[in-house]
Amino acid sequence: MKRNLFVNLAGILIAMLLGAIVMLIQGYNPVETYSALFGYSLANFYSFSTTLRNAVPLILTGLSASVAFASGPVNLGQPGQLLIGAIFCVIGGLYVDLPPYLMIPFLLLLSMIGGAVWSGIAALLKKFFRMDEFITTLMLNMIADYLTYWAITYPLFEPRANHPQTPLITKNGFMPKWGNFNTNVIVMLIVFFVIWFILNRTTAGYEWRISGKNSLFARIGGVKIEKNYLAVMLLTGALAGLAGGLVIMSGPHRFIKGLGANYAWDGIMIAMVANNGIPATLLYGLFFSILQTGSLGMELITAVPSELITVLQAVIVLVVVASRGYFELMIAKIATRRKLKDRDIYPQLINENAIDREDANQ
Amino acid sequence: MTDVITMDHIVKVFPPNVVALNNVSVTFREGEIHAVVGENGAGKTTLMKILYGMQEANSGKIFLKGSQVHFNKPGEAISSGIGMVHQEILLIPEYSVWENVILGVEPTGYFGKIDQQKSRQKVKQQIDEFQFHLDPDARVEEISVAARQKVEILKLLYRNVSFLILDEPTSVLTPQEIPQLFDELRRMRDNGRTIVYISHHLEEVLELSDRITVLRKGSKIDTIESSAATKKSLAQMMVGREVIFESIRKTARTGNIVFDMSGLDYSFPQKRPILQNIQIQVREGEIVGIAGVEGNGQLEVVRIIMGLLKPDHGKIEIQGKDFTHASILERREKISFVSQDRANMGSCLNATISENIIMTHHRLNKRFSKWNGIVLNKSQIRIFSEEVRKSFDIQMDSTEAEIKSLSGGNQQKTILGRELSLDTPFLLLDQPTRGLDVGSIEYVHEHILQMRDDAHAILLLSADLEELFRLSDRILVLHRGKIVANLKTEQTSIEEVGYLMLEGGAQ
Ligand SMILES: Nc1ncnc2c1ncn2[C@@H]1O[C@H](COP(=O)(O)OP(=O)(O)OP(=O)(O)O)[C@@H](O)[C@H]1O
Ligand SMILES: [Mg+2]
Repeated sequence: MKRNLFVNLAGILIAMLLGAIVMLIQGYNPVETYSALFGYSLANFYSFSTTLRNAVPLILTGLSASVAFASGPVNLGQPGQLLIGAIFCVIGGLYVDLPPYLMIPFLLLLSMIGGAVWSGIAALLKKFFRMDEFITTLMLNMIADYLTYWAITYPLFEPRANHPQTPLITKNGFMPKWGNFNTNVIVMLIVFFVIWFILNRTTAGYEWRISGKNSLFARIGGVKIEKNYLAVMLLTGALAGLAGGLVIMSGPHRFIKGLGANYAWDGIMIAMVANNGIPATLLYGLFFSILQTGSLGMELITAVPSELITVLQAVIVLVVVASRGYFELMIAKIATRRKLKDRDIYPQLINENAIDREDANQ
Repeated sequence: MTDVITMDHIVKVFPPNVVALNNVSVTFREGEIHAVVGENGAGKTTLMKILYGMQEANSGKIFLKGSQVHFNKPGEAISSGIGMVHQEILLIPEYSVWENVILGVEPTGYFGKIDQQKSRQKVKQQIDEFQFHLDPDARVEEISVAARQKVEILKLLYRNVSFLILDEPTSVLTPQEIPQLFDELRRMRDNGRTIVYISHHLEEVLELSDRITVLRKGSKIDTIESSAATKKSLAQMMVGREVIFESIRKTARTGNIVFDMSGLDYSFPQKRPILQNIQIQVREGEIVGIAGVEGNGQLEVVRIIMGLLKPDHGKIEIQGKDFTHASILERREKISFVSQDRANMGSCLNATISENIIMTHHRLNKRFSKWNGIVLNKSQIRIFSEEVRKSFDIQMDSTEAEIKSLSGGNQQKTILGRELSLDTPFLLLDQPTRGLDVGSIEYVHEHILQMRDDAHAILLLSADLEELFRLSDRILVLHRGKIVANLKTEQTSIEEVGYLMLEGGAQ
């Protein structure tokens, strides 16, 4: 755990140094830029609560991808599942009206069902036509894109608006706010704990993790691979759907064209840097939200364009993923040196750079 | 004789604190077969991986013909004429046999295009020359582990190495194939090549090798001339205590039929029938052994019993209940299964040892879960992992380490520990002691016999005829997909079974 933390922090630090170099080359002052960035996203309660709110869809789609990848299914359909979750939520919020304590859980459930329906289609295509979810979820993303666009242009169109969007959902379905703190964060935290618990403490989670690593071993051990596949697809779809529902309920309260455009792709990226770890997904989601929220401030205060943040994110992903192996090797070396010192074996000959090339190709 | 390779004061530590090799010095001479023996986890594989450039020593030097060398990767070792066949097989499953053999040294024509005709032909020639019954066009994922091992050896012969390291090569070969391999190895030695040979089969070691190096717990005990050694003295040096080789089997008191397979046919789509009318019955308190040359249908019998293949006809009953179409989980309630394919079926290499140990138990044994089976009971899992580790003497750092950090034999012990403690009425053991040292084999055999005495029904497949004779009450001989003999162990001999395996008996 400690080791992981170190590896990740070192990766982020290197990435930020690289970002600073890019800024210098472009003639910006990196210190000023970074302080504007973090100032805008972290400086006070107001900005921090905005950062938290924005982190919610990143973390939820990130969890969706992490759970899927760690368990085997390559669910790349978070963008589509998010949109369908959001549209389910909007439909519920337009046609049903209940008191808030019922309305909010109802809409959350509805958006999870939306996401699960969408990932469920991919699961069924696999079951009946042996189509790989890796392809079908990507295809379904496009379909979801056009389907929701059609829905907000025609049947759910708000007549007075001059661009495609739906009317507002019922006020009873808005996520409550305390000051600027949005309660969608609480929902996200609960979901985070539940997912962590499922994966690390339950029988099903154990089976998913093992199947993700060696499905033949799991199958011969009595694990019901197909059933688990379906469960993981539905669960991860529901997570992405929930992200969509929460975007509606805590943000614009209606479906606007282009909603949540990048959240879900960022979620997949977060799962990748987090190496599908659940706590790491939470932390990286938060960190990416700090960067994204801060990028607005950076643009306002300095002349650096907010696109730089996209670059910075990409660099972080590359550096962390690429250096993970290297840092682990380095830590292993340090441990070996200690052990050798303890034993006093030919200290003058010791080569603590000894490496194991087990994984290298012969 | 001149020295080819000298390894000088090699030290290897695996973080955090496994000392795999502690100041080991060995010299390999030109034109000798040099055996390396030692208990599971003694450091044999590690020593050879260091020589081969797959792992780097923390201290120590390697000399090739007197000058110091340093291989940064196996490729460099190969170009210096040093080749290694691994305990774990490293082939590309989707490629055919000949493609695997030529991979990396493909004969190419114009524009670097691989000359398929020529290379396939060359591999085929080599297969015939060494009498390795292998189909050069078969895909590696479809052939047995023994066949894959042969492909590995072929790869090195094809590359013409002069220093050949074999890590437990015979553990996956059939008795018929071993003499062929030995002849080939002797011929290579007489041509001035050096062969380093790691094995747990002491008879083989004594028969084949010129000198023997014994390792124990990371230290070298001695290098001796084979002519001066006996099986007993070697075992004593390896284990540090005496090992009994006599049969320990008592006559069985058998009960009801537990496992009943009848009229079973299987044919691979559009190919010749693979299994025909197989009948196997195993009673309580009985061990039935299946003997047969690898590739005569054993793989399919095992897969059908486990539910990985569907038979065309026939029936499987366990304790009187029909299991022909049962799900794998239903089967696992009745069947413990040790697979010959340790890395893919037997374990999940990059999961922890305890995660490997509770597989199947987590579904069958209420002890490992709470809340109606929903949540795992971590503390029980920890206790159980420790129990298995103790009773099977598995050398490990912690049960939370990945299983791939264990030596081959210790991985096998972990799998045996898991399966033998499932306590199901029927056990299917496919090469259960592959890769174990003599001391561990002795223990596992006792354990298996004890389970038999406790009224379990056991079906044993083993390429090691001595093991079959030592454990089984009855021996079935499988030949070309048919059971050609059903013999009481007392009333037959290794020679008779060996003959039936090859000739299929009077037909
Ligand atoms: N990659 C690794 N990481 C950590 N420990 C390791 C690793 N590889 C080997 N070891 C440890 O080093 C010791 C020696 O292992 P090695 O594989 O050389 O044994 P071996 O003599 O080949 O045994 P076997 O007969 O069981 O194959 C063992 O205790 C093993 O657990
Ligand atoms: Mg070994």
